[in-house]
Amino acid sequence: MPISCKSRCGNRAALKRPKTGDALCKECFFAAFEAEIHHTISSSNLFRRGEKVAVAASGGKDSTVLAHVLKLLNERHDYGLDLVLLSIDEGITGYRDDSLETVKQNRDDYQMPLKILSYEELYGWTMDRIVAQIGRSNNCTFCGVFRRQALDRGAKLLGVDSIATGHNADDIAETVLMNILRGDTARLRRCTDIKTGGGEDSIPRVKPLKYSYEKEIVMYAHYKKLVYFSTECVFAPNAYRGHARAFLKDLEKVRPSVIMDIIYSGEQLRFKDTVKKPVRGICTRCGFVSSQQPCKACVLLEGLNRGLPKLGIGKKSKGDRMIAKQNQELALRERANLVKNDF
Amino acid sequence: MCSIGEDDFGDEGGTHAMVAGSVPSGIDLSPGECSKCDISSDELFQLNFRTPECRDCFLAYVRHKFRAALGAAKVLPRDAEVLLVVDGSAESLVLLDMLYYAQTQNTFKRLHCSARMVYLEDQPVQGRDPADLESLEALSKRYEAFEFYVITLGLPVGSLKLLKDYSPVAQESNELIQKLSQLRSLTSRQDYLQQQRKNLIASVAQKLHCSHVFNSSISVDLATQLLTSIALGRGGSAALDVALLDDRLAAGIKLLRPLKDLTEQEVQFYVHAQRLQPLLMASSRYGQELGDAASLQNLTSAFVANLQKNFSSTVSTVFRTGGKISESTHPEQAKCNHCQSALDVELSDTLLAIEYSRSVSEAGVRLNEAIEDPEIISKRRMKLNDELCHACSSIEADFKNGS
Repeated sequence: MPISCKSRCGNRAALKRPKTGDALCKECFFAAFEAEIHHTISSSNLFRRGEKVAVAASGGKDSTVLAHVLKLLNERHDYGLDLVLLSIDEGITGYRDDSLETVKQNRDDYQMPLKILSYEELYGWTMDRIVAQIGRSNNCTFCGVFRRQALDRGAKLLGVDSIATGHNADDIAETVLMNILRGDTARLRRCTDIKTGGGEDSIPRVKPLKYSYEKEIVMYAHYKKLVYFSTECVFAPNAYRGHARAFLKDLEKVRPSVIMDIIYSGEQLRFKDTVKKPVRGICTRCGFVSSQQPCKACVLLEGLNRGLPKLGIGKKSKGDRMIAKQNQELALRERANLVKNDF
Repeated sequence: MCSIGEDDFGDEGGTHAMVAGSVPSGIDLSPGECSKCDISSDELFQLNFRTPECRDCFLAYVRHKFRAALGAAKVLPRDAEVLLVVDGSAESLVLLDMLYYAQTQNTFKRLHCSARMVYLEDQPVQGRDPADLESLEALSKRYEAFEFYVITLGLPVGSLKLLKDYSPVAQESNELIQKLSQLRSLTSRQDYLQQQRKNLIASVAQKLHCSHVFNSSISVDLATQLLTSIALGRGGSAALDVALLDDRLAAGIKLLRPLKDLTEQEVQFYVHAQRLQPLLMASSRYGQELGDAASLQNLTSAFVANLQKNFSSTVSTVFRTGGKISESTHPEQAKCNHCQSALDVELSDTLLAIEYSRSVSEAGVRLNEAIEDPEIISKRRMKLNDELCHACSSIEADFKNGS
């Protein structure tokens, strides 16, 4: 017997919502999914009328759905937002070049301006060249650190009031688990925040999809026939996150509500007064947000430019020793040159 | 899609990676000279991160961990009455043996408290053979100084008996078993049973006039417990689930976990050094036989066991994370009727989001015609169960569906 839609709209149910277990028809699912995101945005006061918001767009399912839904809600509920797409080109052949084509498609479909910033122009390095230098291990460190800052740089360039990212509920639950697995209390504190940053000198980041299940995002994109790019990065996947992810997926199979429960748990965690809090400051070299001096991006870049790509990987003291050693060698060579010139 | 986020990078730099490495398990003792007291012995105890030592030096070290846990926090008042929960597992025997030793010391070093022990017979609930009375009696004989009580899980506290007066009665059913059978999921059953165990222990302690209860959880148990609590939505009270002192028991009784800093290897070595004999039936938890994927708890223990095998240092990181968190409460906050944890349901956006999802799913396309704002409906629903915490209301919801 066909199951009818839970909302009693008279249609047959087309899907079972992973989040609530309710059987819904397509139209009712769209309505519910969009209403939830609208509720998240309005109840958490993510945006204010007249603001310019950059949607961090990678071409993947999350950012595509985010761009689509934000545009739709902006018109439906008259948020009065000026939406722009912001993409980062890491310079990964066979991955980012293709996904950027998808973003360009989104730009045309949603009539939203698009700004693409590349690692090449910001740092003088593409990921392809970085990987050629450092190899397949630790390359994700460069990509991640640079991307975070690149988004800030892009946002500053575009003069936006906030950056909306496509982090979904699964991502957040996974991050809670991951931070517990490695005892990172600083990140555990803030990883469930729907809005981060936003002090005097930083641009806030918001996660309108915080309560949207990944499975529902995929369903939404599928039924709405949205164009998105779904290929894994050609470089190494992140084993650590993978571990937490696999665990979360197993948990979700047993009890789908576990994703929201973990987010709730993460929010309820309090820390002893003796636990150190990170201090957010500004990097003295580049002027972007950082909790250390100089910021990670500057250290990594210095390493690349000095020909010491491992500089920012591992302990700082190790990096300092590497610099000292290189300086010593350079000085020696300089002295040798002087001697030669005397003749 | 690249899933690397800013959270993947530590302040030390580099992606955090779980360092693969395993702890050798099993007991492999070789003869040699103790690196501490220079006396040669047949069996040297080589713990990870420690130099090989003789039996006496090893015992002094592990027993100190137990005393230090109690002493540093000053949680046990002088001459306290303590109830020791013995389940026959290696850990519980280690705790029993350590406590016994601490009491037989000379005046200067003696731990001043008087202790009783209780064995919770869970045979009817677990559906397995009753406890092996002979082993229990052997245990009682070895530690004669402690009174040994037995009670069956699910029976009223009035049925508490001294071991010598106890005879196992084959039980088909009791109230607890019936309750458990009404719960749909094993996750809820295990969670419910854990709360009921705690309640029963508290009643026994109260009956025996004990102000403190000793529980034998060790670090890996607490790492598992922390992740389980997080997965169940008990984040707010997770700190108490893994702390040395848990004061959520009825009548102000305090639950202590003095072995919380012990590792599995230390327990193994201690069992060997003292020739303890763990009871076989203690090896399985309720519902464990249904497989790893049967409940959140089973999955989490399997996950931690796997970590322990392949990334053993991660387990201690998880355990230490548990030591950094504290309970989210202030004194005047109401407590959950079921688990006594602080209630903070009303303030949570996440819980509102869950209810909101249900409301809008019901409304569907007719959302705009709805007479009442789904947010108001959601808030009203959240208030329906305002005497239970989020996790306990999940158990409650499971009941209704099952009956």
